[in-house]
Amino acid sequence: MVKAVNNISFSIDQGCSLGFVGESGCGKTTIGMTLMGLLPENASILKGDIIFNDKNLTRFNDEKWRAFRGKEISMIFQAAMNALNPVIRVDEQIAEVIQIHNPQMSNADVSNQVKKMFSLVEIPEDRLRDFPHQYSGGMKQRAIIAMALACAPKLIIADEPTTALDVIVQDQILKEIKKVQKALNTSVIFISHDIAVVADVCKDICVMYGGQIVEKGTREEVFKYPRHPYTRALLGSYLTLDSYDDITVPEIREAPDLITITRGCSFSTNCNCKSQKCQSQTPGWVNLSSTHQALCFEEVIHKEKND
Amino acid sequence: MKKMEKESKNKNHSIERFTKAWAIFIKNPMGKTALIILSVFMLMAIASFFVPFLGPVYHPMTGTDPNITYSTGPSLQHWLGTDFIGRDLFVQLLEGAKVAFIVGLSCAFISVVLGTAIGMISGYAGGIVDTVLMRVADIFMVLPSLVILLILASLWELSIWVIIFIIAIMRWPSVSRIIRSQTLSLKSRPFIEASKVAGASDLRIIFKHIMPNVLPLAFLYMTFRVTSAILVEAALSFLGFGDPGQVSWGMMLQWVWSSGHMFQAPYWLLPPGICISLLTLSFYMLGRAMDEVLDPRLRKEEEGA
Amino acid sequence: MRTRKFILNKLIEITILFFIIMTVLFFLFRAAPGDPVTKMVDPTMTPEDIQLLISQMGLDQPAWKQYIIYIKNFFTGNLGHSFHYGEPVSNIILDRMPCTILLFTTSTLLAAFVGVVLGKIAAWKKGSWLDNFLSIGALFCHTLFIPWFALLVLWILAYKIGWFPLGGIISPELWIQDTSIFIKILDVLHHMFLPLLTLFIIHLGSYLLLMRSSMLGVIKEEYIITARAKGLSDRVIRNKHAARNAALPVITSVGLSLAFSINGGALTEQIFTWPGIGRELIFAVSNNDYPLAQACFLLITAVVLIANLVVDLLYAHMDPRIKY
Repeated sequence: MVKAVNNISFSIDQGCSLGFVGESGCGKTTIGMTLMGLLPENASILKGDIIFNDKNLTRFNDEKWRAFRGKEISMIFQAAMNALNPVIRVDEQIAEVIQIHNPQMSNADVSNQVKKMFSLVEIPEDRLRDFPHQYSGGMKQRAIIAMALACAPKLIIADEPTTALDVIVQDQILKEIKKVQKALNTSVIFISHDIAVVADVCKDICVMYGGQIVEKGTREEVFKYPRHPYTRALLGSYLTLDSYDDITVPEIREAPDLITITRGCSFSTNCNCKSQKCQSQTPGWVNLSSTHQALCFEEVIHKEKND
Repeated sequence: MKKMEKESKNKNHSIERFTKAWAIFIKNPMGKTALIILSVFMLMAIASFFVPFLGPVYHPMTGTDPNITYSTGPSLQHWLGTDFIGRDLFVQLLEGAKVAFIVGLSCAFISVVLGTAIGMISGYAGGIVDTVLMRVADIFMVLPSLVILLILASLWELSIWVIIFIIAIMRWPSVSRIIRSQTLSLKSRPFIEASKVAGASDLRIIFKHIMPNVLPLAFLYMTFRVTSAILVEAALSFLGFGDPGQVSWGMMLQWVWSSGHMFQAPYWLLPPGICISLLTLSFYMLGRAMDEVLDPRLRKEEEGA
Repeated sequence: MRTRKFILNKLIEITILFFIIMTVLFFLFRAAPGDPVTKMVDPTMTPEDIQLLISQMGLDQPAWKQYIIYIKNFFTGNLGHSFHYGEPVSNIILDRMPCTILLFTTSTLLAAFVGVVLGKIAAWKKGSWLDNFLSIGALFCHTLFIPWFALLVLWILAYKIGWFPLGGIISPELWIQDTSIFIKILDVLHHMFLPLLTLFIIHLGSYLLLMRSSMLGVIKEEYIITARAKGLSDRVIRNKHAARNAALPVITSVGLSLAFSINGGALTEQIFTWPGIGRELIFAVSNNDYPLAQACFLLITAVVLIANLVVDLLYAHMDPRIKY
């Protein structure tokens, strides 16, 4: 048995944005999928609850999930992949999600809502009846955003929405997401391996490694005062033109082994703290401020701070 | 010393790959069943070589039992009975197994050799050569083999090897398409570029570098060629245009039909048909099981530990 | 406008192909052992008729002139004179074509439709007993030996149980009398049932297996997860999103397996004595009736090429990604 994610605990308020950053395989997509009830057949929730507006999602059956998905929580997928059905017109795919959750709505109303969504994400009306392959990468991503927003969900999970896009389009999409979030007062959970992108959109950030959250805080705290060795390594691998600090990037030797490590810190094999304690004892949460925490040992954090 | 080490390492690596592939293959129920059925048929084919030692009565083509001149049911001397002129049916069945294997395997072999060669050349050369070859392949794919064989049978008397050759010619296109796309993807790999830079000729690149990588795929598709070869040859014999000197399962069905015994003699009607279908089925299952070995995406997901 | 260009291109392609095949056949005919004249002309006719036929087909002319006459004859409908029937071949062909087309189209459409539906269900319920049952059944159907299976069907359903006739397309007694068109149609259907059933079962297997593996590939695609994320019901996802994509390769396969279907069709016609072109070809070859055999062959080839064109067009119509 592999624990894809372990010891995950976070909360998000209406209208706020929370980012999850980490490398591939750290479990951030699993979190997104769990919140949508879209885990694969061979996965299940071992322990814990997910409370959404007083409803416990872990107790949902298939029928409840179907009524829930797309309406209360929806997902923005990576558009570069085949996230849109190639043989169905784009407007039909958006209309679909509106119709399934609003069966009493007339065709005309549905059509109007679709048009409204398209204008919200700034896709010209004459492109509505096109097929997905006729759209550019940026347009496809915007169509997917429109699809996620169509039923005015309370929470949107964006899973790597800008990963395969070039920087200019990336910038546009991020602006789009921020705009719609404000317009609809939706909460956003933003998942990415790119910490710069996450910091652009989200007020709060969770850094993930080996299936666990290793640091959480506001974006200023995490960016300016990274305390967990992994966060420091992550930020250190970004070179900026105006960096004054010399942050050494440790050599990451191995990817986290999710199968065998049960004791000690999962980052200990790659950490340059070189502490015996880390390999035999599981670290706990160290409170750095009212909003900032790191999963580490006090001594290690203070050592890093002073280095 | 180092080169020898590397070579023996490569050898071990191939053996390792083979044992690994075997392990996956044998787990597959289709693979297991296919091998069992195929071994039974192989035994039958081999047994047909020993039949003449039983006496002239048991020759599939000419061995008429002096006591029986018509079709009889199963008995102790004739396990499946006799046909309409008193020949032993079981012996004919064994002979048919031998013919089926020969026809199936040689047909498949020829069409795979042709298809692989053309596929590699087409994929590697690209451009006009590629277009022309693939158009030719399209033409052959579209034409119904039996119909072509029939019209040829009206002009010539076809012997078994001519039939095999013609079926093989009709069947290479499907192999060549697969080999071609494999070659295309290999062509752009760095090690091919490296060979070109080192000055290797095109032919050398094709045969030394590309061929070993496409061969497993070629062998896989050989199994599927066998199925169609057996079916087409049997159909041709059934219609009466096969090689008159060969006893095959299709021929047996021809005799039961043309002699009007098809409704009266189930012991004659059923065995050849069952054999054809079973042999074809087992080759097909073999191919599918091998498919799983070669394409990891098709493997059944491993159970969670 | 672009569609028309596409169709035109394809038509030109198959016409050229057909010409090539005709030419190859012409050369094979001349290369084969035996005298071309005796092969093409019925020796039992009167000397004047024989001479007329020879000049019509240009058999007394040099080879290249013969070739031109050969092409011209084919396209003006002069397909020669059948030895066996003593009639112009074109009459026989016109009589047989509708029967073959009826049987062939119905069996292909039925098998494709049912195969797609069952394959869709089998893939959706992968691993269940239903899936295993359907898959194994399809595997058996796919590898059956057609003449043998046809004989079996004939034996059990026509001979032993006697529900269906032993062959042919009509019961002549019914048609001589003053029977309604309704009864006549029923009669044809009654005779068509067994060959249709045979062809249907044989082809069902391959369509089912193909649709199933296509579906299994499609189910893993991202847009299926998107569809689930929208909250759509299982049925809608399966039918509207997955099946529509999975069916596309099946259409292509109809085209590719046309050759196989024609083979099977000819064999089925033979066993059930269904008066179609396939059976006629076999008959002509057995009886050394070369003009008839040649005409049947060329016509079957033409049908295969046209059917391929239709399939190509259908696919282009259904897949919006194809630019034409």
